[in-house]
Amino acid sequence: MLSKGVAKKVMIYLNEDTQHHLTPLYESILTYLMHKGVAGATATRAFAGFGAHAVLHTPKMEALAEHLPIRVEFIDSAEKVEEVLPTLYDMVTDGLIEVQDTRIVKAAMKEKRQSESKPPRTREAAKAKLMQIFFGEADRWHDEPLYDAILKQLRMMEIAGATVYRGIDGYGAKGHSHKKSFFHISRDLPVMISVIESEEKLNQAASAVEGMLEDGLIVISDVDVVRLVHANLPTS
Amino acid sequence: MPTYQPAKLLRLHIAESDRFGGKALHESILEKCRELKIAGATVFRGLEGYGETAEIHRPHLLSRDLPIVVQIVDTAENIERLLPVVEGMLEKGLIAISAVSALRIHK
Repeated sequence: MLSKGVAKKVMIYLNEDTQHHLTPLYESILTYLMHKGVAGATATRAFAGFGAHAVLHTPKMEALAEHLPIRVEFIDSAEKVEEVLPTLYDMVTDGLIEVQDTRIVKAAMKEKRQSESKPPRTREAAKAKLMQIFFGEADRWHDEPLYDAILKQLRMMEIAGATVYRGIDGYGAKGHSHKKSFFHISRDLPVMISVIESEEKLNQAASAVEGMLEDGLIVISDVDVVRLVHANLPTS
Repeated sequence: MPTYQPAKLLRLHIAESDRFGGKALHESILEKCRELKIAGATVFRGLEGYGETAEIHRPHLLSRDLPIVVQIVDTAENIERLLPVVEGMLEKGLIAISAVSALRIHK
């Protein structure tokens, strides 16, 4: 499976009827990529288009409907792409190959996760850092509550865990009291998010949160993690 | 690169039913903090818990006495200044202090 980070995206533009050893070229390419263990590839038939031959391929013209453009695309590491490119270069006798730099944000696989032999579910005692972020419940970030946005951001960064607490009373440097009042419909109670992670990852998380916080406090302290247990149980 | 300053985190573990000076203890503590110009304080209410007297703080139908935690972050000097005051206010409970580094963000 692909890992997050920098990768290459390859796009190959073909015609549906381009042949390669008596099979459609796009099929040959897909078979080859699968054989080489490329993480995944997609062939898409275009609705219309034109290429180097300057013939407009469109479904409106019956004679040309069989010659619609096909695009094969796949994403993998730079090394893998370098490995398969020479063969692809050789295979594509009529078409275009293009490579782009890309960034994998998420590569998730549902079923595989359970059958895979899991790494140890428990982590024994270790030094870690605790970050506490204090701000207000009414604080917002791009039209959503700030605590939601921070949580999403931390999850995307694969931070081990975070908990949001709502206070019942409090005040910060703004001086106004965050207190639930019977007559106040708009609530701005204090909110605190606590995160425990290794120093390196926590520093990344802290700088991400620093950019999102308008008015608040970040507190970091040393903690000893006694034991970390993941909830997903082995399938066996 | 923002700089984190060394600071102290003071945690007061009390009960919701604790009272001081005719009002809830956590309200009195907050008032005192403001009076002493402490940077900030946050009151959290726990869902359940138990403490020194081993009575379980759990909500009942009519009455409840849930655990309360007051968290205060400020410089070591300010915490030192606050500490004897809150010590005098707490009849029972727990006071914990930890060393932290803090960053105040105000854009």
